[in-house]
Amino acid sequence: MRRGTSILFGVLFLTALGGCDGRHNWMAGAGEEAAAIGDLFLILMVGAAVIWSLVVGAAVYAHRRRAHPGLEREARLFVIWGGVVFPVLLIGALLVWGLFLLKGITADEGDLTVRVDGERWWWRVTYETPTGDVVTANEIRLPQGRTALFRLTADDVIHAFWVPALGGKMDMVPGRETTLALTPKKLGNWGGLCAEFCGGAHALMRFDAVVMAPDAFETWLAREAETAQVAADDPGFQVFLDEGCGACHTIRGTQAAGPVGPDLTHLAGREKLGAGLYEMTPEHMARWITDTHAMKPDIDMPPYPHLSGPRLDTLVDFLMRLE
Amino acid sequence: MPKVTRYDAPRVIDSGSIWILVAAPTIWAVHFLLSYWVAAVYCAKSGSGWLGGLTDPRWIIVGLGGLSIAAIVWLGMIAVRRYGGVFVVLEEITDSSEQGRERFIGHVALLLCALSAVAIVFTVIPGLVFDRC
Ligand code: HEC
Ligand SMILES: [Cu+2]
Repeated sequence: MRRGTSILFGVLFLTALGGCDGRHNWMAGAGEEAAAIGDLFLILMVGAAVIWSLVVGAAVYAHRRRAHPGLEREARLFVIWGGVVFPVLLIGALLVWGLFLLKGITADEGDLTVRVDGERWWWRVTYETPTGDVVTANEIRLPQGRTALFRLTADDVIHAFWVPALGGKMDMVPGRETTLALTPKKLGNWGGLCAEFCGGAHALMRFDAVVMAPDAFETWLAREAETAQVAADDPGFQVFLDEGCGACHTIRGTQAAGPVGPDLTHLAGREKLGAGLYEMTPEHMARWITDTHAMKPDIDMPPYPHLSGPRLDTLVDFLMRLE
Repeated sequence: MPKVTRYDAPRVIDSGSIWILVAAPTIWAVHFLLSYWVAAVYCAKSGSGWLGGLTDPRWIIVGLGGLSIAAIVWLGMIAVRRYGGVFVVLEEITDSSEQGRERFIGHVALLLCALSAVAIVFTVIPGLVFDRC
């Protein structure tokens, strides 16, 4: 029985450690804010370990020794200083430290501003630039070493914005704006996710947070700002319009201007399809359209099971050209 | 008959004077609630120019905390004067007499005052660090 329990705990512990690996690792040191929280965590853990050892050590010592009624006064003083005054001061200091750390993370200035609106169950992303807003969705690219200020809102229910490797998290509340500053240090594609249960597809509400070299980022942002190059007689675009996709989706530079779903202007430029879920391949795209709710249950997009053959192929081919 | 003298003093609970025990934690609770209410009203109204702009939120927080702590100090004084409470830790207050019980209540009330004051300070600190909504 005891052996079984310890094996079980061992396995659980190792499984939990698995969570410390990879692109969601909050201890990866990929962002300054995550690193600051990591330092606080380390000091808390080490401090707690030291204090715990001292307390347990004292208890063991007291248990072993014979009682000394003559030392009652000293014992009471020890309890008062060690058990009341010291913890109050220590917790007070930790409180102030943690608050200032939080204040820095929720600061309201940055080198660039990104607005993110939490929708069920995807992310509407808007970069504020001197020449106007650049709208995209489900993928957030950031320049290395610059502080990005996120202005977070929510459409109808509460979500939470979290890129564990970079920092956070921060609630997204309907009717309010919350802020979060992230300063990425390491290049790479770090995973982001919704960290507040928000309904059916909550666990499938993810995104990629791609940290790029600053000039590569500028190039990307300039491309993202451009409208889509769609020929008026593009057969795939005809299917897109005929099926009514344009009622929900926007492709900037065309007559499709639906506000309901993600902006598709540069859809194929994203690494993933469906809010950080599937590799962006024609096969996934076709299934997304025909078997939508098997790909992502509960979402507001209707499936198009009747689309097949060349018609589906032209539509998918068109979407995969939206780079 | 030592057994009888143990119970001769009237129980303080009957004389109705244990309110002093709950008073300080009540102030702590009320201060906690008020902090939320005042912050919510302030944040909702500050944009509209009512109250906001005029006052730095820090002054409201300091004022509220100061008032609550003043009330607790006053309670502490009552605990000392009327109940003969003492702030000691090296001595046990175990007298089984009416006066002993009153002193015990005064003593506990004083300790609760200290606890509540510390708790209120801990509530005030975040407000001072975050002087915005
Ligand atoms: C009723 C509105 C609606 C219609 C009509 C609609 N969609 Fe969608 N679509 C959505 C919503 C909402 C999402 C986001 C779902 C999610 O991830 O939670 C979405 C997501 C998508 C995505 C994934 C976007 C991304 O960033 O990965 C693609 C691609 C897409 N739709 C294509 C289409 C096509 C093609 C059609 C027409 C055949 C269509 N949609 C019709 C609402 C709609
Ligand atoms: Cu969610």
